[in-house]
Amino acid sequence: MTEEATMIIDDLCIPGTQSTPDIRTDGAAGRIFMQGDSYPENTLELFGPVISWVERYLETGDRPLTLELRLIYLNTSSIKAMMDIFDLLEVAHGKSRIVAVTWYYDSRNERVAELAGEFREDCSFPFDIQPRND
Amino acid sequence: MMEASDLYSMREYFTKQHILLCFNGPISRSLIEEIGNALKNYLQAERAQPSAATDVFATYIEMSQNIRHYSINRGYGEQEASATVVIARDETGRYAVSAGNLVEAADGRALLARVTALAGLDKSQLKAAYKEQLHRPRSTEPHQGAGLGLLDIARRSSAPMVASLTELTGEQAFFSLRATI
Repeated sequence: MTEEATMIIDDLCIPGTQSTPDIRTDGAAGRIFMQGDSYPENTLELFGPVISWVERYLETGDRPLTLELRLIYLNTSSIKAMMDIFDLLEVAHGKSRIVAVTWYYDSRNERVAELAGEFREDCSFPFDIQPRND
Repeated sequence: MMEASDLYSMREYFTKQHILLCFNGPISRSLIEEIGNALKNYLQAERAQPSAATDVFATYIEMSQNIRHYSINRGYGEQEASATVVIARDETGRYAVSAGNLVEAADGRALLARVTALAGLDKSQLKAAYKEQLHRPRSTEPHQGAGLGLLDIARRSSAPMVASLTELTGEQAFFSLRATI
């Protein structure tokens, strides 16, 4: 129990706007959710805390981490920020940590599948891209 | 001063050029979003394919944010930090996104050279250059951008980007860039 207690990191709950996605972390369940478009002018302002959260989570304990993404359009600096997050997962995966990404997309917009697919090319951990027809 | 009747000739010109949306003036972070929103609605109303709509929107965002980052880096005031943005359809119905801004002449010449170099790359070379840039360590400056914007636009374009530079008095020039989706 004491070991569990030291692993608690404050969760993030960042509500989305027109140009920024909804971002929610659930440290207890080992999950991160992101949903929406991301094209803010200053991406580090938005993703800085998320990157720090992932770093701290992965430094602590050995529990799995799953990213559940419903991201649609990302500007190039958001793409860079997501790559930073995937790089952290890749390093953790190299140390036998269980990490995974599932990216859901509207099957009518193939650009989202292509975007997710290009990220997946650079990752060796499980990275699932799931079309949805809703 | 502009006459009221001049508006009619402007309207005629916009219609003839198939201009969907245009903007000229100081551009802020929120204005970029608002124009982007209008653009999204236009594309939806025009029933553009989701992939084409994404490409046009992305090109507009990358061009206008590039201009903002550049103006902030250069410490430009409001007037110099202006942008001219035009979104139109060309004679074959493809979308053309153009944006222009004031730059230091030397920066403009470097940009022209970069656009010319990108025009010589095919899709797979563009992808390789994009991936290389994506994995390069980022600059710590907040307005440096990821250096990916032009590559992203080039990858979304159906023809090489076209750039031009109009040298003005002093050390400044007007740089303009056009991408056809």
